[in-house]
Amino acid sequence: MRRRTPRTAPLLLAGLAAVTLAGCGSGGDEAGTPAMAGGGARLKVVATTPVVADFVRNVGGDLVAVSQILRPGVDPHDYEPSPADVQAIADADLVVESGVGLEAWLDETVQAAGYSGHVVDSSDGVTIRKGNGEERQAEGDPHVWHDPRNAKAMVAGIAAALGARDAADKATYERNAAGYSAKLDALDKANQTKIDSVPPGQRKLVTNHDAFGYYCARYGLTFVGSIIPSFDTSAELSGRELSDLVAKIKASGVKAVFSEASLPPKIAQTVAGQAGVQVVGGEDALYADGLGPEGSAGGTYLGAEQHNTDTIVKALGGRV
Amino acid sequence: MVRLLVEPFESPFMARALVEALLLGVVGAVVSVFVVLRRLAFVSDALTHTVFPGVVIGYLVAETDGIVWGALAFAVLSAVLLTLLAVNARVTEDATLAILLTGFFAVGVILVSRRSSYTADLTAFLFGRILTVDRQQIILTAVIGAVVLLTLALLGKELVLRAFDPDGAAARGYRVLALDLALNLVVALVVVASVRAVGTVLVIALLVVPGAAARLLSDRLAVIVVLAAAIGALGGWLGLAASYEASVNHGLRLASGATVVLALVALYAVAAAVGAVRSSGRLAFASGGLSSERAP
Amino acid sequence: MDESERTALRFEHASLAYGRARVVEEVDGVVRAGESVALIGPNGSGKSTLLKAVLGLVAVVGGRIEVLGRVPARARRDVAYVPQADTLDAEFPVTAGQVVLMGRYREIGWIRRPGAGDRRIAAAALDAVGLADRAGERFGTLSGGQRQRVLLARAIAQQPRLLLLDEPFNGVDAVSQEALLSALASLGAAGAAVVISTHDLALAHLACDEVCLLNRHQVAFGPTAATLTPELLRAAYGGQALVTDGVVVAH
Repeated sequence: MRRRTPRTAPLLLAGLAAVTLAGCGSGGDEAGTPAMAGGGARLKVVATTPVVADFVRNVGGDLVAVSQILRPGVDPHDYEPSPADVQAIADADLVVESGVGLEAWLDETVQAAGYSGHVVDSSDGVTIRKGNGEERQAEGDPHVWHDPRNAKAMVAGIAAALGARDAADKATYERNAAGYSAKLDALDKANQTKIDSVPPGQRKLVTNHDAFGYYCARYGLTFVGSIIPSFDTSAELSGRELSDLVAKIKASGVKAVFSEASLPPKIAQTVAGQAGVQVVGGEDALYADGLGPEGSAGGTYLGAEQHNTDTIVKALGGRV
Repeated sequence: MVRLLVEPFESPFMARALVEALLLGVVGAVVSVFVVLRRLAFVSDALTHTVFPGVVIGYLVAETDGIVWGALAFAVLSAVLLTLLAVNARVTEDATLAILLTGFFAVGVILVSRRSSYTADLTAFLFGRILTVDRQQIILTAVIGAVVLLTLALLGKELVLRAFDPDGAAARGYRVLALDLALNLVVALVVVASVRAVGTVLVIALLVVPGAAARLLSDRLAVIVVLAAAIGALGGWLGLAASYEASVNHGLRLASGATVVLALVALYAVAAAVGAVRSSGRLAFASGGLSSERAP
Repeated sequence: MDESERTALRFEHASLAYGRARVVEEVDGVVRAGESVALIGPNGSGKSTLLKAVLGLVAVVGGRIEVLGRVPARARRDVAYVPQADTLDAEFPVTAGQVVLMGRYREIGWIRRPGAGDRRIAAAALDAVGLADRAGERFGTLSGGQRQRVLLARAIAQQPRLLLLDEPFNGVDAVSQEALLSALASLGAAGAAVVISTHDLALAHLACDEVCLLNRHQVAFGPTAATLTPELLRAAYGGQALVTDGVVVAH
């Protein structure tokens, strides 16, 4: 034959096919047989947010080893899981999320990790408030934990899930949950007392974030309007929106404006300067999306919530 | 050392990421040889930017499944546009390319910023999500890769002739414009295949670095292609292993896609060093009075 | 052989244009099989354009050009073009042998790979220019003259009936020049027609049967000795020509 047809192309294609099949063959691991944490091996639980991780630690105690995905201060909306995160989910006995669409990236990650167990939605059983209309809040306002009653429901749900996964220690989980719930009750009562000490005309909340809907509803505060008018932490204010808000703040006669912990306070300062009110920001900032650094006062749920209430009440003229 | 290179891929998700990285690495690398020979690095970069609005539109219309189709439509459009641009160079080609690529890119950013989740979406499109690659994506990458490699195999000798001697090719009756369109389409297809795993910004590394590195190591085209493929694959392997090791054992976040790019750049640096030794060796050989270079 | 087989190239009042602008006017002449013609004129006189027109790459707006009895575009199979070697990238990773093999691509066609026969023809072509021992070396490592010879070999591998060479002797050393002339002579003996654009009058005398003097229009077309007269040369070069060592300078 004078001419040869290409021989390498079929070889290349075969090679490609082989590599592809290798990649397709690997399915997911089974989550494993029911874990026996009592035998000394801790239950491996992956929790997404700092708040949820805190609840799991309190309910699980020494029986669980918690992998927390979102570090304090990290925005839960835009998160890209690292190899360690995906590996943790792959190895997990249980995965717990906050829910209400907060962790949009979780489904894809769980699938990739091959985790076939139960993904516990902590917000199951909580009455969800309407979102602010944005598509990210299509499932509602996700900041359910700021109402301690909701936190109790979340804790109960977590305890039930842990008990279902590890039946041998069910009683311990329930005991721990009951003990923690008592603290939540105490928090709830303390919050109400403190807020009741604020002069009625001052019971208004202006902060960076539409995150305190449940909190305000629970304790009778009025939400004047957030400085950034959406749940999206990176959206910006147009000139028109700015003057509208300043007008609203002035009209409300509120004494203080609150800047949220994980945002630069400059935005809040601009508005407050024009409206002539105190800006509560920086170290005194409120914990809206998550918790403070581990080890700090705001590093646990109870600590952060108490801090929020104390800060708000003091600034609005009440007693803590 | 072996543990570092093998252990990460015992997890199924890492194994899938590796397969995707190997596929893209090899296919991108073979294309990159032509990109380097034809000096198309800037055109290829322009292509990654002009495909971007297609990615966004595809996502807005049909969520993640729509990304590839949107990318494909804009890839074809861009390839045609950029090929025609080269014909009529009234403004300098560089400037026109830059205007096009920034314009298209801006349209894409505007479209995506209307969504509230735009930071997350944007980073996904630009830098990819290689850890959540699934079976379907791998198959799609393999299919596109097969089309690309087949095209290069079938048109290979004519593409090389055109790259070497465009006037000679035209004199022989080849339509240089058609050949250029074919190559631009091939580059655009690599961008489409890469967009979900590596993103449109990082794919340019796949389309340039392996070929450039291989060129430093050999003067023979067949060898260059094989070396480039090896470098492309190795970059993916090393990058993924490094980002896994850093994340799992040291708590250090290294974005996987970007780490692959850095691995490729590191391999280029090694190739440059080897290349420098090679050519200084040749110079010494030649200046020693012996007859000048025979092909290695 | 009948008339059409003997005539490789025919110009009849051929005028060429790039877009609107006419660049070459009224070229008349015939090149027969086995003949060689030197194309001589100052820079910008339209020599390259004329060669491109023979390849069918430039529009013929007046008169006509007939290549091997056909319209230029249809004759490309049998016409080989040899560019100047320094227009090509010296860094390109291709060997001399591979460059010559490129001459076979059209014959091989799309998709198929070169066969043993193609390689034999290419090897013979490289041998014809005296560079058989350099086949495995990178094209760019050869000298200017050697590269020009490789490009001629590429054209020879095409087995054409008409060869067009664009200033093939520019900056070429004596050895390579000799090799080029020898190969061209063999081609002519085998029946191929050759058109060479050049400034080198001595080589024109040596290697070419006829000369076409061009300066955007045809100044003369005739046998070499009769056409390369001082008057005609002055007319072609606009009165500014100076001939030194047989090469026209100051154009």
